[in-house]
Amino acid sequence: MKNVIKIQRAIKDLTQEALAKKIGVSRQTINSIEKNRYVPSTILALKLSEVFDKNVNELFELEEND
Amino acid sequence: MNKIQTGSQLLPVYFKKIAFGIIITTVLFEALSYSKILMIDKELLNTISRSGILISLLLLALTRSKIEDELTLNIRIRAFAGSFAFGVGILIVEPFVNLIFDGSFSSDIGSTQLIMTMLCFYFLMFFKMKKNR
Repeated sequence: MKNVIKIQRAIKDLTQEALAKKIGVSRQTINSIEKNRYVPSTILALKLSEVFDKNVNELFELEEND
Repeated sequence: MNKIQTGSQLLPVYFKKIAFGIIITTVLFEALSYSKILMIDKELLNTISRSGILISLLLLALTRSKIEDELTLNIRIRAFAGSFAFGVGILIVEPFVNLIFDGSFSSDIGSTQLIMTMLCFYFLMFFKMKKNR
């Protein structure tokens, strides 16, 4: 699954730490999501969509092998 | 927002202190007994130390980290699954290792040894995966 969290974070001028604090996870979790090493839960995806004011499917996109 | 995953059934962080307290007490008890300050039956001493170490390792395994989010929980589950598979692997491989070295299939590993090895493997996997997340 691809995501545009890093881009959205840059647009909002947020650091990984600041975003992590906003959605209640660790900075390492944000880093793992951005590097596509971890697919977040629905709850976390919804929290991210709330922070970036975007729909979940604007932030996350399925890949062919998903 | 709270960094503790709601719904997680893990023990509060202060249980880590309790676990380390139990380990220290067990080691102290063992040391006092070996130095003959405390006269106690060897069988009873072994049972106490075995239980003390197993309880403390279990408490450490079931206590949440300071920052316990969903990725940490995910890592925890994978580490538990890995240590379980490792334990089963030991039980399968051990008789064959005995056959090579002792010439018989008899198994030497006890339940306490197996559980301790599994818990140690769990900690190893958990911290390694947490470091590489």
